Amino acid sequence: MSTPTLAAPTARLPLRRPERGRWLAGVAVGLAAHLNVPVVWVRLAFALTAPFGGVGILLYAFWWLTVPVGDPADAAAQARPPALARLARPQGTDDDGRRWPVTDVAVGALLVLVAVVLIAVRSDRVQLDWVLPSLIVLAGLGLAWSQLDAVQRGRLRRRAGGRTPVSVLRLLGGMILAGVGVLLLVSQANGEGVEPAALVQSIVASIAVLGGVALVLTPWWLRLVRELGDERAARARESERADIAAHLHDSVLQTLALIRSRADDPAEVARMARAQERELREWLYDDRPAPGTSVAAALRGIVAEVEDSRSGPSGDPVAIETVVVGDHVPDASTEALLQATREALVNAVVHGRPPVSLYLEVGPRMVEVFVRDHGDGFDLDAVGPDRFGVRESIIGRVRRRGGEATVDCRPGRGTEVHLTVPVGEEPGHDEGAVPEGSVPGAAPADAREDHA
Amino acid sequence: MTEPEPVEVVLVDDHHMFRTGVKASLDDRVLVIGEADTVDSAIALVRELQPPVVLLDVHLPGGDGGGGAEVIRSCADLLGSTRFLALSVSDASEDVVAVIRAGARGYVTKAIDGPALSDAVRRVAGGDAVFSPRLAGFVLDAFGAAAGDVATGDDELDRLSAREREVMRLIARGFSYREVATELFISIKTVETHVSAVLRKLQLSSRHELTRWAAARRLL
Repeated sequence: MSTPTLAAPTARLPLRRPERGRWLAGVAVGLAAHLNVPVVWVRLAFALTAPFGGVGILLYAFWWLTVPVGDPADAAAQARPPALARLARPQGTDDDGRRWPVTDVAVGALLVLVAVVLIAVRSDRVQLDWVLPSLIVLAGLGLAWSQLDAVQRGRLRRRAGGRTPVSVLRLLGGMILAGVGVLLLVSQANGEGVEPAALVQSIVASIAVLGGVALVLTPWWLRLVRELGDERAARARESERADIAAHLHDSVLQTLALIRSRADDPAEVARMARAQERELREWLYDDRPAPGTSVAAALRGIVAEVEDSRSGPSGDPVAIETVVVGDHVPDASTEALLQATREALVNAVVHGRPPVSLYLEVGPRMVEVFVRDHGDGFDLDAVGPDRFGVRESIIGRVRRRGGEATVDCRPGRGTEVHLTVPVGEEPGHDEGAVPEGSVPGAAPADAREDHA
Repeated sequence: MTEPEPVEVVLVDDHHMFRTGVKASLDDRVLVIGEADTVDSAIALVRELQPPVVLLDVHLPGGDGGGGAEVIRSCADLLGSTRFLALSVSDASEDVVAVIRAGARGYVTKAIDGPALSDAVRRVAGGDAVFSPRLAGFVLDAFGAAAGDVATGDDELDRLSAREREVMRLIARGFSYREVATELFISIKTVETHVSAVLRKLQLSSRHELTRWAAARRLL
């Protein structure tokens, strides 16, 4: 069920105890993934060997203690050299989030039940071995120490500070069990039955001792906690640095090498440098929104595409100075706007004169785009109606969405294409809807184009 | 008419190569009289030379790690005579707001060409503010001007006036000050007045987005 398919067939997955698909502690699932056999076989093997001197149980316990928690596939991915991994995995996106630890609760409840039964039996003066009390002590210790395992393996790292209700419950349960067991043992050693008064007295005494010890150890413990925090912060910094190093290695160094080898081609060098700069900027400064959620990100993609694929009249690459104010969830209107913007940009880069500026502003009711270059522009009236470029791909697109497109060019002042489309405020108003203020009768044509 | 005195500048940047490039690209009406490459040496040099203009990189090593903004804060008593023009490769708005709120008179990106940079230096020396298209875009964003949130009175710090918004929009669209003036049928001096007013608002405004957003990045 959780046999990962991610790794290469030759490489064996590292031994981990995955949280998905586990029955008790994930040993069987982890082993199955490691050995690449169905998990049923492993479980069967444990069950079959258990009666023979407890071999299965011992082995299971051994692996439980020694094998760290984790997804084997992830561990394999992390084991790759950092330079090969594109980016470090972002924290907090692990598969299963928080799972209710049914097994922990069940085991704890069972042990508490045993303790209660035992106390009842003792008060009836039924003599039992010292074995049972020591078992209870062991169980309590196990419950408390199992927490250390979890902390060590970093499972709690993504939960805030490890102070979850479950871990507190575990610790408390373990302490109570161990305490009761120790008391029973001590009274056993005295050779007498437990008087309720003596029991209460000794409980009070031991709590007092524990309190004193806690008071003494508190500063030390606090320092330990603080150091742990510092260490975690240092580790986070370290991982970020590795992330950055990997990225620089992947992109910047390679581009620099390419630039050196193409040093005799200035246009190509400028283009590569510009593309690299853009990529690095995006990586450093952008919030990297999820695809399909941001008009601004889509616009940057278009700018990148135009910068990479088009050259100015003299053959040099042209940088597009892009400024975006506000953002919007893409819909059909903004899609049309962006397509028109792309055409306008291509026009400005290929036929205009740099610098080329692009400004997108998202207002409450409309999205506006200005594309400006310093060329002599073109006379719209002089463009024949048969010329599809400007008329159809820029103006037509936007008008069908109820928007407006104007081309403003005055000699010596450059050319500016101004595009606006209205956007609805309510979400869900986007798919194929005709925005308010659209030209009557334009909607059918619009629908035809989009769904053709 | 005599040739005007060149504007003396101190150039602060931790990249030697970049300093060389800037020096070569500046025209002869701007004179680099000193260079520094860390926060501490920059503070010492600015205090010693007291130049009219400091070209200041936003990201600088040394000091308390505050970069360019720390340099400006440490020289706050000189702000009347020495003006800082921030020069950065960064697009991050938190860099912009930190250095502007510390007292810089402008913010230009390092992609700027030589003549434009020389122009910006002279403008800052004359007491005006220098806005790149990107800074204008950031102002529009931070002041909510794109949503039509416009001041009605003159003394409102938290919103742009309609005219200031218009000027910012034109700058964001790639207009030079001269082109803005022509477009709006006003003088260049008036454009500069508007831009300086916006800069003042950017420095003094308690606009909640601006402060909350800066506080989230522990800038203020």
